[in-house]
Amino acid sequence: MSVLQIPPGQFALSARLDDRVRSLSRAAPRASDVAFPIFAFVGALGGMGWKIIDVAGALGLDFSKAPVLARCRLSFERPLLVERTYTVTARVDSLERKPSRTYGSADHMHLTAELCAEAPHSAARLHIIFPGS
Amino acid sequence: MKEFKNISGPDMAEWCEYLADDNAIHLSRDAAEAAGFGPNRVNPGPANLAYVLSCLPVDAEATVTEIDARFLGNVLEGDTLDASLEDGAGRLDRDGSPVVSAHITFKP
Repeated sequence: MSVLQIPPGQFALSARLDDRVRSLSRAAPRASDVAFPIFAFVGALGGMGWKIIDVAGALGLDFSKAPVLARCRLSFERPLLVERTYTVTARVDSLERKPSRTYGSADHMHLTAELCAEAPHSAARLHIIFPGS
Repeated sequence: MKEFKNISGPDMAEWCEYLADDNAIHLSRDAAEAAGFGPNRVNPGPANLAYVLSCLPVDAEATVTEIDARFLGNVLEGDTLDASLEDGAGRLDRDGSPVVSAHITFKP
């Protein structure tokens, strides 16, 4: 059971966007219609129905305190392809306050976002730490 | 090993646009300093992982089944970084210390 179901969204993965992100990353030019794998992450955050700042707000977390990314697990049932629009389904799986040496206390959010286009393509499981109050 | 020189603040803003990420530490030097990161903007974590993934041969991209990455430190505007990937073990180093450690699994 999730802590928060995020409204579904869409992510349009154009060839032009893939080219640009490859350039920002200094990755090799695309050789087929397979997109750069970082799009499992970019599409997750960029395409879910709410921005991450709004997800934080819905959970009473202070986004101005500069949350940090601790870990991500990106899984692929099939490669993401360019010139496709993906449906992004996202949820917050858990939110737990823990003691923190750095912040005194911190809220640990685990968020999952899946990209589908007729069939599932990728899932991003993110662990984000919000400094506590 | 691939070297990334002089990590760019404007590039950070572009990453944030694609990620729909309004975290001000990526966009404002004042916000980064107020949050305790010093006087330079902080690179978004996914950009750091993308530098590691840039070491993938392009014909291997379609065979990736999982990427498990831990973010161990911050990358700041102006930094120089070294990215490497060998036998599915990727890392991004800043001044010799890891800031990203990643394990990549491929289809058999």
